[in-house]
Amino acid sequence: MKIKKKEVAITLGLMCLLLAFGISMQLKTAKSLATTAGNSSHKEDRLRDEVLKWKEQYDSKYEELEKIEADLEKERKVSISSEDSSVEKQEELKKINTYLGLTDVTGEGITITLKDSTKSTLDPANGLVHNNDLLAVVNELKNTGAEAISINGQRIVPTTSINCVGAVIQVNDETVGSPFVIKAIGDPNRLNNVMRNGGYTELLQSAGINVEAKKSDNLKIDKYTGVLNKKTVEVAK
Amino acid sequence: MKKGKGIMTITIGIICFVLAYVMFMQFKVVEETNITQIESMRESELTEKLASWKGKYEEVETKLQDTKNTLQEYRDKRASNQEATELLNEELLQAQTIAGLTDVKGDGVVITYTDYEASEHDDKIQCYNLQELVNELILAGAEAISINGERITNLSDITNINIDDEIFILVNQKRVTSPYTIKAIGDAKYLESALTLKTVGFVTRHPNATIEKQNNMVINKYTGTIKIKYAKDVVKEEK
Repeated sequence: MKIKKKEVAITLGLMCLLLAFGISMQLKTAKSLATTAGNSSHKEDRLRDEVLKWKEQYDSKYEELEKIEADLEKERKVSISSEDSSVEKQEELKKINTYLGLTDVTGEGITITLKDSTKSTLDPANGLVHNNDLLAVVNELKNTGAEAISINGQRIVPTTSINCVGAVIQVNDETVGSPFVIKAIGDPNRLNNVMRNGGYTELLQSAGINVEAKKSDNLKIDKYTGVLNKKTVEVAK
Repeated sequence: MKKGKGIMTITIGIICFVLAYVMFMQFKVVEETNITQIESMRESELTEKLASWKGKYEEVETKLQDTKNTLQEYRDKRASNQEATELLNEELLQAQTIAGLTDVKGDGVVITYTDYEASEHDDKIQCYNLQELVNELILAGAEAISINGERITNLSDITNINIDDEIFILVNQKRVTSPYTIKAIGDAKYLESALTLKTVGFVTRHPNATIEKQNNMVINKYTGTIKIKYAKDVVKEEK
């Protein structure tokens, strides 16, 4: 009987401890949330709801598109004749879609991480990664044979611009921040030339930015989750 | 006495359960709101985001309809035992056009960007300047761009090379020289206004660059071949 009492006391104590821990953690998160979203107006709240609603609608439409595209690919396979030229064309179509960044891909490659300097300098802009730095590094990766590139998960496609909007950087209209993880698939040894002496990354390092490169034999780069359209160009004959 | 103890245990148990439940609910809420960056955005940003999502929605909607139509056409052809080669050709042409593998025409702008006369080494136009210009044109919605005839594709590179202490620029690994003629097809009016924006527009910031609208111009295709050797498509498993 006595032992049982002890057991109950220990269980209760443990439960209390867990609860107290949970509550204190929550208070902390709630506090940090409050500072970011605390003094928002009704109008902002309404806008926020609208944005979320459209984003959700977009996501569900995109999912539908993915299904139809998969169906189309199957249909294409059974529809086209087994002539060599048709099979070749189909392969070409697939290759172009990969080139454009419209498919998830895997392969050998390199991951380059750029991190803002933690040391404080007189000039606060020094030691920070700017949009032009990302442009230059992406360009060097293209130069060394990258076949697919992403920055913090945003795939580089023909409509991709890397912009400075106020104090933040946007890629494909999405905000990305330090650390910038740039993945590239290609010949890892060639890609590693991005880290060569006198290259752009050396320049970044001398500005106090933390640059790391890691070769990998199994990288995965996600596709662009948007649509590429042509509205203003037509084929010239 | 024994009965009272039992009730007490049950009561405590219930209280604990309720507390835990409330906690989990809260965790969920906090997690959900934290997923997006939307929480911390201000009015102007939100308005912009809203417009952007609406635009993207319309694009995906159009694409969905087009894809559905193509799928139907393939099915019709197969039902009537006809060749689908033409359809495949059409699809391929579309993809090639987006990738920059066809000559295209349309309205747009021409930018002429020239090295300063008797310039110092440092003042020479470098690859970074051209990268920045291309980036700005893409942001302003340019759908086809070329530099001195070299078409910019998704994997085009613009680099410096140093020969005898003089910098030369390579686009698609081919040498281009000043004056640089950059052609861009898109909404000509918008392209022009974006590049001549007060203080931040590229042409505003570079006195050695001029911009001109031009109708019905042609931009030539990329003349290289596209190679995909290392990147393997992820094959989705059939459900």
